[in-house]
Amino acid sequence: MSLTLALVVAGLVAGGVFLVLQRELTRIVLGFALLGHGANLLLLLAGGRAGRAAFIEGDGPTGGEVDPLPQALALTSIVITFAATTLLLALAYRSWEQRGSDEVEDDLEDRRIARLRDETDADLEELTDVLADLEGDTGPGDGVADVHGELRP
Amino acid sequence: MRRSVILETVIRAELPVLLVVSLYLLFAGHNQPGGGFAGGLVAGAAYALALVAGGAGAVRRTTRFQPTTLLGAGLLLATLTALVPLFTGNDLLEHDVLSADLPVLGTVKTTTALFFDTGVYLVVTGLVLLVVTALGPGDLDVGDVDATPGDGT
Amino acid sequence: MAAAVLVAARRPLGRARFAVAALAPAATAGWAVWLLATLDPGEAHTRRVEWVPGLDLTLGFRADGLAAVMALVIGAIGVLVCAYAASYFGSSPTAAKVAPLLVAFAGSMLGLVLSDDVLGLFVFWELTSVTSFLLIGTDDERPEARAAAQQAFLITGAGGLALLGGLVLLGQQTGEWTLQGIVAAAPSGGLVEAAAVLVLLGALTKSAQVPFHSWLPGAMAAPTPVSAYLHSATMVKAGVYLVARLSPGLAELGPWRPVVVGAGVASLLVGGWRALRQSDLKILLAMGTVSQLGLLMILFGVGTEEAWAAGVVLLVAHALFKAPLFMVVGIVDHATHTRDIRRLDRLGRRLPVLCGVGVLAASSMAGVPPLLGFIAKEEALAALGETGLSWGTALLVAVVAGSVLTVAYSGRFVFGAFGPAPDRGSAPGALVGPIVRDVHTPAASIVAVPAVLAGAGLLFGLLPVLVQPLVDAAVTWWGPDAHAPTLALWHGLKPALYWSLLVLTLGSLAIVARSAVERVQVDLPRLPGTQRGYERTVRGLLRGADRVTGVVQSGSLPTYLAVILVTMVVTVAVPLSGAVAVPEGLVLADSWGQLLVAAGVLGAALGAALALRRMTVVLLLGVVGYGVAALFMIQGAPDLAVTQLLVETLTVVAFVLVLRRMPERFAARQSVRRQLPRAALALAVGAVVFVFALSATVRTEPGVSEEYLQRSLPEAAGRNVVNVIVVDFRGLDTLGEISVVLVAALGISALSAAGRRGRGAGKAAGTGVDAAEEGGVA
Repeated sequence: MSLTLALVVAGLVAGGVFLVLQRELTRIVLGFALLGHGANLLLLLAGGRAGRAAFIEGDGPTGGEVDPLPQALALTSIVITFAATTLLLALAYRSWEQRGSDEVEDDLEDRRIARLRDETDADLEELTDVLADLEGDTGPGDGVADVHGELRP
Repeated sequence: MRRSVILETVIRAELPVLLVVSLYLLFAGHNQPGGGFAGGLVAGAAYALALVAGGAGAVRRTTRFQPTTLLGAGLLLATLTALVPLFTGNDLLEHDVLSADLPVLGTVKTTTALFFDTGVYLVVTGLVLLVVTALGPGDLDVGDVDATPGDGT
Repeated sequence: MAAAVLVAARRPLGRARFAVAALAPAATAGWAVWLLATLDPGEAHTRRVEWVPGLDLTLGFRADGLAAVMALVIGAIGVLVCAYAASYFGSSPTAAKVAPLLVAFAGSMLGLVLSDDVLGLFVFWELTSVTSFLLIGTDDERPEARAAAQQAFLITGAGGLALLGGLVLLGQQTGEWTLQGIVAAAPSGGLVEAAAVLVLLGALTKSAQVPFHSWLPGAMAAPTPVSAYLHSATMVKAGVYLVARLSPGLAELGPWRPVVVGAGVASLLVGGWRALRQSDLKILLAMGTVSQLGLLMILFGVGTEEAWAAGVVLLVAHALFKAPLFMVVGIVDHATHTRDIRRLDRLGRRLPVLCGVGVLAASSMAGVPPLLGFIAKEEALAALGETGLSWGTALLVAVVAGSVLTVAYSGRFVFGAFGPAPDRGSAPGALVGPIVRDVHTPAASIVAVPAVLAGAGLLFGLLPVLVQPLVDAAVTWWGPDAHAPTLALWHGLKPALYWSLLVLTLGSLAIVARSAVERVQVDLPRLPGTQRGYERTVRGLLRGADRVTGVVQSGSLPTYLAVILVTMVVTVAVPLSGAVAVPEGLVLADSWGQLLVAAGVLGAALGAALALRRMTVVLLLGVVGYGVAALFMIQGAPDLAVTQLLVETLTVVAFVLVLRRMPERFAARQSVRRQLPRAALALAVGAVVFVFALSATVRTEPGVSEEYLQRSLPEAAGRNVVNVIVVDFRGLDTLGEISVVLVAALGISALSAAGRRGRGAGKAAGTGVDAAEEGGVA
């Protein structure tokens, strides 16, 4: 195999990762495309060294053909990457269209969860009160009101 | 946007040629470079050119198919091709070799895999067509009912 | 056959009337009687049903004596509970909710006792937990009912998880996945001991044993027929039943006796003690159930034949006296609208029949001759007197003490419900409410049901020969030559009789002096409740979950991605670092052309990463794509090259179409300090991928492609092997792929349609199109 190709794969992936980590959606999409290139090339690389294309001349394989399977995988992968990239692009565009900016903002829902702790505590207090009644540890003289009344027909 | 008359004319002449090329790629794909992916992309690219040159209206004039129709038909065709062998007692996706003696072309040999590949071709064409019409129109469009004039037109 | 009964038991789920619902348990009971009549000792009907054949999972059903006894209890009590519920609910809409659930529960419980396969048993075990949850929460508008249902479910569910772990561990250690096989294997060893403790955790939670008993009083929020059926007669016995099943094989394990007997004694005493404190009749009974289940645990878990047999008798007796007691409470509740001892005054005079039924059942609970409870209690005391264990005497004394408590709370129940109201003297009567004066007379039909059950307790006590076959059939599980003791009211002057007399005497004294006992209880410090523990656990869990979520879900997309990528780097780099292999035939480059194109691609990729104008990035991306296509060509992949070329063109077109409407530059340039970590992470990922690429190409086996090359022409009539693979050999992959493409295309279509609508309405925000961009495209 070729050291150069491995380097190219590494370079494409590194560039793609750097872009994906940015905040602009378009850059993320571009990074995704770069990652796709890297992955396709890596698939091909797994087939071994460069060689003759995998076509059958005459009656059968003559040897020296490159491995066709990674190529077939890469072929489908290229088209899928195209479909996915354009979908992301459409998403990015729609986001920009709606908000006038294509930056990824922090998820507000998640931020709220971090502040949830106090609310949970309040809920739990209520639960505790209910359960204390339920435990029914009504010793003589405790005088707990009748909370166990049933649904009556 | 200003339209180039020359480009438009050339494209109008080119479009059928490109479509023939794409069909050639599809049919030759089993034995030579090409296949449903490449063929579909060429067909899609031809329409993309037409779109850039003449707007969505031009594309609509040349093809009566909605992109989504192509997508659905393609997947349906591929799935049916995959399923038919089940009814004839074979495994899923098993293909048969067909040969026929045609008057002009002589003996033509092909396999039912061609139908499957045609499905792929249709899906890819549909995808490209959809991408260019979905992302493209707007201000590029002239005479398109859906589009509103953009600010640069 | 068992499965057939099971199906039959589920069939009437749709019809929500108790008459129909009762058919299923009636069939079960009839079948169980037939089984007991026809089954030879030690024999069993078995049936195995393939469940998931691919995983070797089967549902094994085995109907033996013990299963038949349990089925009889489930069926018989089920029929009577249905009859009782029909009067209890009347035409209330609750009936429609409860009836199918009761039948579903009966089916699950039946499956549980008939399962021989441990995993099948677990499934039914959980099903009973779920139906119990739904039934406790019947009155789902009351927060207490919801909280109680949740608590019951959490505790039994956690126990269920422990049970699953224990059963799987047992199965793996013994290689046996049936109860029969595990007991026959009688395994030992550290892991088996751990498994046994886990299984016991499951059993103890299900049977509401100390310290997991806190859910049972809460479960009294369920309607009374449900309490009578699930929470006294059947479901809570599931844990006891499992201990009974496993005890013959596992009783000799180190932790078995301390855990089972320890929890049993604690439950017996704590349950009894707390039952004496209750003024709510139903909760009094619930605490009594905890106590009685503790005794059952001791009997089944202590691991002697006699105790085991006594356990079976007590199990039947308990069902026969606890279920009617619950029903009596339900009727009292109906008639007076309260279950508080302090508000009930001399109910016995107004409802003499009900009083008689209650006294009969409570006497059986206390172990008064000539009732079945007495026989069971005496058998238990006799068996525990002869365990031969070094701490056998201490155990006997504890059980005697527990039995005294049982007599005492039985008395508290009877006098509380039917006797005069206690002297309210200094008690804060205002909180309790006034003494009930007007009493509705209950219908005869509803009183008849507990009367039948309590009467059965008397009948079986007088004619123990009727119960004998049940015990005889069940005891065969203990061993092939195990024999049940002959049941009788009078065994002669044996130690057990003296113990019984002692229990009854002390208990009667406690009843007579019950106001003194109450005062002592008030003065004594309360036993520490486990309710606090449950609350603290739940609270800690929720708080911990919040904290973890707060840390993990920071809400920033780049952070999430960075976490994923760092994980990838670490998890891939660590194993790779030990196995870096240089593949054979490694060259710098395959050709000069490759080297040249590679340099171009790398440069363009670097530029794309750093460029700040949108269009520049797009064009550089195009350069990368065409370069990659050239690399494909050099590699010997013309198909790929052609496809890549076309795709790249279309990608660039798509990007240009979109980006021309957006600002020329990206938003404000970010400081180097903030970009540096990103660059570092990117380089780390790149380095890992590089090493991976080198290692991944090391071949140890010949590829499958050789075969594809050979078969391509003769079988698929194609010379382009890549295409043949795509459409033929691996056509299913391609089919999947074009489906993905279709979905993505639909997404694009939907997004653009939404955008168009937005623009059409004139609300689009995307009007800030840069005119210069516009010109750039044209």
